[in-house]
Amino acid sequence: MDTSNSLVIETQNLTKTYKEAQALKGLNLTVKQNSIFGFLGPNGAGKSTTIKILLGLIQPSAGQATVFGHDVTRDSVKIRKRVGYLAQDPRYYEHMTARQIIDYTGRFFYRGPKDLLEARVQEVIELVGLENKADRPVHGFSGGERQRLGIAQAQVNYPDLLILDEPAASLDPMGRHDVLEVMEKLRKYTTIFYSTHILEDVQRVSDSVAILNQGALVAEAPINELLAGDKGSTMYDITLMSETEAALAGARERVVSQSWVQNLCVTAVDGLTCWQVSVTDEAAAEDQLQRLILEDRSLKVKTFGRKTYNLEEVFLALVEKENSK
Amino acid sequence: MTVQTHPHVSRDLRLAARQGLLPARGSGWLAGFGNMLAKEMGEWFRTRRWLWQLLIWSVILGGLIAFFLFVLPVLSTLMAGLPTQEQVFVGTPPEVGAMIQFFSFLVMTGTIGAIILAQDEIIQEKQSGTAAWILSKPAARQGFILTKLLSNAIGVLVFIVAIPGLIILGEIFLATHKVPALAPFVAGAGVVWLALFFYISLVIMLGVMFENRGPVLGIAFGVLWGGMILRNFIPQILYVLPLGMEGVALGVVQGIPLPAIYVSELISTAVLSILFTLVALWRFQKIEL
Repeated sequence: MDTSNSLVIETQNLTKTYKEAQALKGLNLTVKQNSIFGFLGPNGAGKSTTIKILLGLIQPSAGQATVFGHDVTRDSVKIRKRVGYLAQDPRYYEHMTARQIIDYTGRFFYRGPKDLLEARVQEVIELVGLENKADRPVHGFSGGERQRLGIAQAQVNYPDLLILDEPAASLDPMGRHDVLEVMEKLRKYTTIFYSTHILEDVQRVSDSVAILNQGALVAEAPINELLAGDKGSTMYDITLMSETEAALAGARERVVSQSWVQNLCVTAVDGLTCWQVSVTDEAAAEDQLQRLILEDRSLKVKTFGRKTYNLEEVFLALVEKENSK
Repeated sequence: MTVQTHPHVSRDLRLAARQGLLPARGSGWLAGFGNMLAKEMGEWFRTRRWLWQLLIWSVILGGLIAFFLFVLPVLSTLMAGLPTQEQVFVGTPPEVGAMIQFFSFLVMTGTIGAIILAQDEIIQEKQSGTAAWILSKPAARQGFILTKLLSNAIGVLVFIVAIPGLIILGEIFLATHKVPALAPFVAGAGVVWLALFFYISLVIMLGVMFENRGPVLGIAFGVLWGGMILRNFIPQILYVLPLGMEGVALGVVQGIPLPAIYVSELISTAVLSILFTLVALWRFQKIEL
């Protein structure tokens, strides 16, 4: 059985309405097995609401959602048997030690010889690097230590799906780095669905991304596709050096006259001319664009390549576009 | 231990089986029940709570009856203004008078104790977010409520009813060299426990329904004290609410046939406790965490 394309999470028109506000507006989402799925959006976009619905902590107002094919409202316990969850602001029994918290969590999933469960607890403590704090009460833990404990307790049952709600939000750069490293370690074992508003983290570890704004899905795509920009057009960044303006003007004439060229923007940086050429036919551009420019031998192409966006540009463009509707 | 795994079982079970761990027992409303109950009982018996509760109730109830049995007879001979033991025990023999005083104080102080002990159980977990954490695991909501109820019922039974009861029996024996009949004593203690369970289930239900402690404590103490005032004006209220359970308990302890009002009070207390529990279970199913 090919499981690589199996869907772990699927939502259909998932809607959540509170008295005066619509937290989720008909969300349609699919998360494939063994992916690291970044669920991106500004604060209040509906990310935590979606996660809580998936875990059965709140009920949807309309629509439906399944996890591992089980309905989230009817089969919540079955789903939770295979899920590990880290809340945005994880809270535990403060008088318990980290080891006791993980042991208590583990016993919701397993029974068996005490020493084996203890061994598993020790294993996840080591995974998140909490060995030195494992036997201290949680009330003395820093934000980063709580987050590590959160990942440990979420991982104790070898979950098939790990749901992390803003796992790095309250952490310093070192803590964030550690959390992302743990996520990368876990990617071969499990599907990770995590929400965040830290774009850099998403770009670093995610396979797929969904962008949520004001309760509505703005985009959902594999990260490479999203960073490649608008599906209808491709942008090329070209840096040119020329001794005469006429040579540049001629080259520009030749390029813009092509039917597959949509737009050409010119900027000057450090004595060089930068073009951003938007094209509708990528193959034609790859084949002809550079040749058209170099027809004039006085022109020199310093750089030539497809423009890659960073996630922040994509995110802001999509959210602004959505907000302006 | 070897565990056979099937290709279709989820990966977590296969890995756990490799370690010799087996899936936890319990499904439906029993999912996570044993684990949650063990944790809740641990809060009573594996933290210092047991010590504090033992001290508080032994001192309050045991101390009071010890004062009546051992100190008051001496003091009243030394200080003219003090009531005598006979006056406090209203002419009954010391072993009977001590029991009457014990059950009277037990119902009042025990009820206050039970309300205070149970008031934070649900509210605290909802406010702190630990309820959401627990219920993100394979744990049933019904189990979450029932383990709170059960652990408090057991804790209150042990520390407020049983241990002080044993202490009082010991004190009565030391003072009078007589042992009260055990079966009626235990039955009377059971009546008191039922009254305390009524308030525990009420407070748990209120904790599910409200988001802060004010209404929970206000309504529970309102039922207790408001009811006590009200019973002087509308005695029929005793048919429905456990506001005269010390009388029921004393009737049972002394082997006096119970009047209809006490029988009704006993039955309605039990029925209302079950009703509060069912409402708590139903309401908690719908709560958003």
